[in-house]
Amino acid sequence: MPVLKRGWVKLVLVVLGVIWMIPELYMISISLRSPANAFDPHLIAFPFTLLNYSIVLSQNPLIRYFDNSLIVTVATVVIVLVVASLSAFGISILRLRGSGLVYGLLLVTLMVPLTALVVPLAILLGQLRWINTYEGLIGPYSALGIPFAIVVLKAFFDEFPREIHEAAVLDGCGAWQLFRMVVLPTVRPALGFVAVWQFITSWNEFFLALVVMTRSSMKTLPLAPMEYSGMYMANPGALFAILVIIAVPLILMYIAVQRVFVAGLLEGAIKG
Amino acid sequence: MPSRALAARRHARRQRPFHHLFVLPALAIFALFVAYPIGWVAYTSLFAVSLHGVSHWAGLGNYRSVLDNPTFWIVVRNMFYWALITIPVQMVIGGLLAWAVEEYTHRSRALFRTLFFVPVITSVVVIAIVWSNIYAPYYGILQQGLSEIGIHFQTALLGSAGTAIFAIIIVNVWEWTGFSMLMYIAGLKTIPVQLLEAARMDGASGINLARFVLVPALSGVNRSLLLLGVIGTLQTFPLVFLMTDGGPDHASEVFGTYIFRHGFVLGQTGYASALSVVVLVIALVMTLLQIRFLGSKFSLKG
Repeated sequence: MPVLKRGWVKLVLVVLGVIWMIPELYMISISLRSPANAFDPHLIAFPFTLLNYSIVLSQNPLIRYFDNSLIVTVATVVIVLVVASLSAFGISILRLRGSGLVYGLLLVTLMVPLTALVVPLAILLGQLRWINTYEGLIGPYSALGIPFAIVVLKAFFDEFPREIHEAAVLDGCGAWQLFRMVVLPTVRPALGFVAVWQFITSWNEFFLALVVMTRSSMKTLPLAPMEYSGMYMANPGALFAILVIIAVPLILMYIAVQRVFVAGLLEGAIKG
Repeated sequence: MPSRALAARRHARRQRPFHHLFVLPALAIFALFVAYPIGWVAYTSLFAVSLHGVSHWAGLGNYRSVLDNPTFWIVVRNMFYWALITIPVQMVIGGLLAWAVEEYTHRSRALFRTLFFVPVITSVVVIAIVWSNIYAPYYGILQQGLSEIGIHFQTALLGSAGTAIFAIIIVNVWEWTGFSMLMYIAGLKTIPVQLLEAARMDGASGINLARFVLVPALSGVNRSLLLLGVIGTLQTFPLVFLMTDGGPDHASEVFGTYIFRHGFVLGQTGYASALSVVVLVIALVMTLLQIRFLGSKFSLKG
């Protein structure tokens, strides 16, 4: 590889990387501004202040929104992991009769845009009296997340050696034991990948949350900025402090687990 | 050995009724949250439903009013803009980034992989508000930044009918290019090292290497991104809702905002249901077309 060419490519990558980060830096920059310089049209405007963070953390039920998001997201991740791994096991390892049909139906779900489901889902949740409840988001989020999880997990399960399966069955290992003790431990990278992706999508979901959580005490974090945009019209710094509080923890979490996430994706790619 | 395997298979078959419990939860969730809503929306689209819940048979009346509404055709036009710009641009930039990151970096590889992926993880609500500020006239950094390099303009990009949808499309490209990049990185990992080495030995490089080796080997990623791009286009909502709410005067309206307005703001459930069915049909047709012409396998392999 010519050294000169490598240098140029790296330079382009660095420049693009910096440009890519401007919106994120801008967000942090505005959150550090007082009302006096909040409308300064530059990326960075001095002086910095942390006042906005103490304003939003003391005045608002942000913690409540954070808790709501956490409950909905964690419950969804757990349900998706359990239900999807059970199904992928049934389809891929047990090769149940009708597996093809079940898998086909799940693939169809993958192609259904949420836009087309939001009206009937709102009616259904109304009938179930699930509006303004955690179940009202956990149910649909799980339903929409499970198909993708099954596709990913099935690709991993398909690689599971048939001989080990048969040996285990002959040794008197039942289907449940086979699942728990033998198959599940071998697909941990896939489970990690699915968990991280499901966490990100549920945590950030906006459309259904907007429709289902109309009561203030039940709102999830992505709905918080709408609640406060009017209140902080004259002090955008406070609104942007809320944005930082919404975005940055998830980004830090991703950085912490990105090794697991990328490893799961790469391994899945080679198998799929 | 074959008889052992046969015995095992027979053993497995004997337990089958209980085995179906493994797929039951997924099927139940599918029936409740996907199949039932689709059936309901198709049925309701045939009724005129008013705000007070009174409904009467309308036949295809809702569909006729959907097609007669000029705003619907603006939505269709915007969806074409959206798909035809975001999908190829995200694929090309994402693919080039993947190649550059994997081929030309070593110690900084994880850094670049993460850096371009950060917008994908950033809450779309946050993205919408930050970019509205970037685009803002007078105090937005885009106008200021461009004027410092000699480009002056005084348009409110989100407030003008001619530019609003394109301004939002740029945000979508920024948000999702990192996703394409990561998918292509995964795809590159599936190419056997020997294949690349053989191609290089034969003197393939640059454009030729890309055209005859990489692009065919990455066709699985291309297919997946195309499919996800179409579905993503049809479910566009938060960016448009928060940045322009479909305005000015419906110029940036998309299916998401259009259905939300009729279904939840105006309370026209029948009309919104007909729109939902139209979206479902478009998704179905696009998926079938892709399967017909590009194959059905959903995979990152070539």
